[in-house]
Amino acid sequence: MKQVFQLPPWAISTESTLYNKTGSWRNYRPVYRNRIPPCNNACPSGEKIQQYIDILNQEEGLYKAWKLLTQDNPFPAVCGRVCFHPCENSCNRSDYDEPINIHTIERFIGDIGLNEGFKWRLPRVNKKYKIAIIGAGPAGLSCAYHLRRRGYQSTIFEADNKLGGLLSQGIPSYRLPQDIVQAEIARIIKSDVKIHSNTAIGNEYDFDKLLKEYKTVFIAIGAHKEKKLGIPGAEHPSVIPALEFLYQLCAGKRVKIGQRVGIIGGGNSALDAARSVLRLGKKPIVIYRRTENEMPAILDEIQEAKEEQIEFVFLAAPERIIIRNNKIVSLECIKMKLGQADKTGRRQPIPIKGSDFKVGVDTIIPAIGEEVDTSFIPGSFLKVLDDTVSTNYEGVFAGGDAVTGPKTVVDAIGAGKKAAHLIHCYLRQVCLPVGASEKPVVFEDLNTAYFEHETRIPSGKLPLSSRLKTFAEVYQGYEKPQLKQECSRCFSCGVCNKCDNCFVFCPDMSVNKRAGKYEFDYDYCKGCGVCVLECPRNAIGLVQEER
Amino acid sequence: MKFTIPQEENMHPGHLACPGCGGALAMRLALKALGKKTMVVLPACCWSIINGPFPYSAVKVPLFHTAFETAGSVSSGIKAALDILGKKDITVLAWAGDGGTFDIGLQALSAAAERNDDFIYVCYDNEAYMNTGIQRSSATPWGAWSSTTPAAKEEPKKNIMDIMVAHRIPYAATASVSYPDDFIRKLKRAKDIKGTRFIHALVCCPTGWKCSSEISIKLTRLAVQSGIFPLYEVENGLKYTLNKPQQISPDNKLIRSYLGAQGRFANLSEKDTKKIVADIKSEWLRLLNKIEGNICIKQ
Repeated sequence: MKQVFQLPPWAISTESTLYNKTGSWRNYRPVYRNRIPPCNNACPSGEKIQQYIDILNQEEGLYKAWKLLTQDNPFPAVCGRVCFHPCENSCNRSDYDEPINIHTIERFIGDIGLNEGFKWRLPRVNKKYKIAIIGAGPAGLSCAYHLRRRGYQSTIFEADNKLGGLLSQGIPSYRLPQDIVQAEIARIIKSDVKIHSNTAIGNEYDFDKLLKEYKTVFIAIGAHKEKKLGIPGAEHPSVIPALEFLYQLCAGKRVKIGQRVGIIGGGNSALDAARSVLRLGKKPIVIYRRTENEMPAILDEIQEAKEEQIEFVFLAAPERIIIRNNKIVSLECIKMKLGQADKTGRRQPIPIKGSDFKVGVDTIIPAIGEEVDTSFIPGSFLKVLDDTVSTNYEGVFAGGDAVTGPKTVVDAIGAGKKAAHLIHCYLRQVCLPVGASEKPVVFEDLNTAYFEHETRIPSGKLPLSSRLKTFAEVYQGYEKPQLKQECSRCFSCGVCNKCDNCFVFCPDMSVNKRAGKYEFDYDYCKGCGVCVLECPRNAIGLVQEER
Repeated sequence: MKFTIPQEENMHPGHLACPGCGGALAMRLALKALGKKTMVVLPACCWSIINGPFPYSAVKVPLFHTAFETAGSVSSGIKAALDILGKKDITVLAWAGDGGTFDIGLQALSAAAERNDDFIYVCYDNEAYMNTGIQRSSATPWGAWSSTTPAAKEEPKKNIMDIMVAHRIPYAATASVSYPDDFIRKLKRAKDIKGTRFIHALVCCPTGWKCSSEISIKLTRLAVQSGIFPLYEVENGLKYTLNKPQQISPDNKLIRSYLGAQGRFANLSEKDTKKIVADIKSEWLRLLNKIEGNICIKQ
């Protein structure tokens, strides 16, 4: 035994508390988990939006972002321009200040892809399977691309000489320049997809013959048949259906219209037609039977039309076209009021008796919607099953506007993607899940203490004065610094973006950073849950420990 | 936003703090800011327990356990001894709870501050004697439950910042672990100043505040945002600077959500809550007056 004078003057600790595995105190265990961000969840073509914005934020290169984006959507430059961006409507940031300008970011990535000539690395074609696709619109092309990604080559039959369907026939170039559309289509075709243009099924090629030859068919014919206006005088040659009018414009042909053009309808076609008329130097008047709030057109386009001071006549329905000396002189309308909401949630217009009035026009463009024309399919016809893509014909699938009625470009692209997936399952006789159906992150899940208020960066835009005379594109997109700034606003809902909060706030030093990833040290984590609450994006969950 | 705190870790896990302890996090951040060349002086407080039983220690720097009332005097002594040994680059950090600062250690602290002895004194204030059984201290706020005020405490919280500022020490600041960047900046700033530096850090004690452990950081953040515990610095007892001003406003709703989340305030009546809100607002105005007083000093 040591003598008193040999001992130190007081007790000195020689060991660390590492001996004490405080993990045994824990009732709950924190776990890193990635949840579905609302933007990804809302995208009909399933783009991983949060993920490509994160790639841009981490400066991992535009090619990587482009590659990820085009995994789901081969048309980023197109969708960045014309998509109605449900992603932005669901963006959690809109509950805080303003949603992320996702479509302009997408457009930037798409444009870079075209300018730099980014290419996909695709698997070798498996020649064993023959697949036909009817219609080279967004749904058909998307299906061809997604099949190609899985190693299948397909043959597209298109009735027109131009590919792209509505993209190249119905959207004016101030919204969507044709060279962009054609470049993105060419990229798909170049990836080894066969094309038969000017080949309408039913006329040039028999449907039964097609079915015999190909065994697997995807019908994506869109909805082109214009609904009839059905009022007296509608047969007059100065009544030009909107799609016809836009088709001629897109084809670069001159369309004879008068000085005052009445456009009937409130959808995108109506506004496209009205804004085109304005650019031709004529006066458009949009007549719609409900109010601005019920207009089915996308919000951006309504706003732009208003900016361009297009005249609207709301709550009015056409009754009769008045023709004198074989010329249209005016359109007789009846006033409407809004009644009860119908199944779609829109309030139904009800005519007010005796409220007739006249709108002085000399040309009329009805844009009251389109229908599907399936007359080429002989005998009994197509019935689409519950999953919205399979049909009652063995090996025949259908999708896009042809099934859903007129919807949006991105819905069609999504339908093509889904069809490719189901065709793959059909050919290989396997059943793979279409997608996860978890609950997306909502605003209340976030901890906003770590976010600063920042305004949304708008896309560059042509000044009003210079855009009314030409068909030049209205939006100019982002420059690189703007892109960076806008991407940095992303909350990254539900997905860790390495903000360090869990590491910083852990009172027990139980969050380790290894190779850019975080790990919990369950030997010492006491399960206090501070990291769970302080994670700004809800990417950490708390699970009860099993005892 | 990303924090830029030092990666260096000067503390071990396995310490004995309760889950969600704000005091444990405060030490971790403080040692990150001050680095290895630090000696900690520890009077009786929660940290006497947290640091672990003999022969173990949770910190990677020398830590001296001392008697409850002596943080100020022992720090003075250790600093003097270091000076004699010529070890000028070692920071002495007195680390005391609210009991050892507001009540028991006040005399030693006041004396050291009056001599302007060269050390940093951090009071991590969890507003009661937590590790001995949640007895009230003079830092316990008005209206709070404690085991010795079973209904509610009837006296207001002592304003320790005013006491320390009155000593005209070179640097005094309030800090919060909910704002790690600000917390570390203040400790680094204190490190570069000579003389007595005082930092008052409000930290949440889930055990004594009777709240769930995960809201520990959220509560002290709410305390700052609601104006209950504003973050500010005072140089030489005169120059006041308000930090994070955009985050702070004495807000009725925020104060109520701060009080409502804690079991120790469960006994408050509506009248009591109104009094607390009014008191916080008048304290806030008093602070603003002091900050505006800066202008007079400049002239």
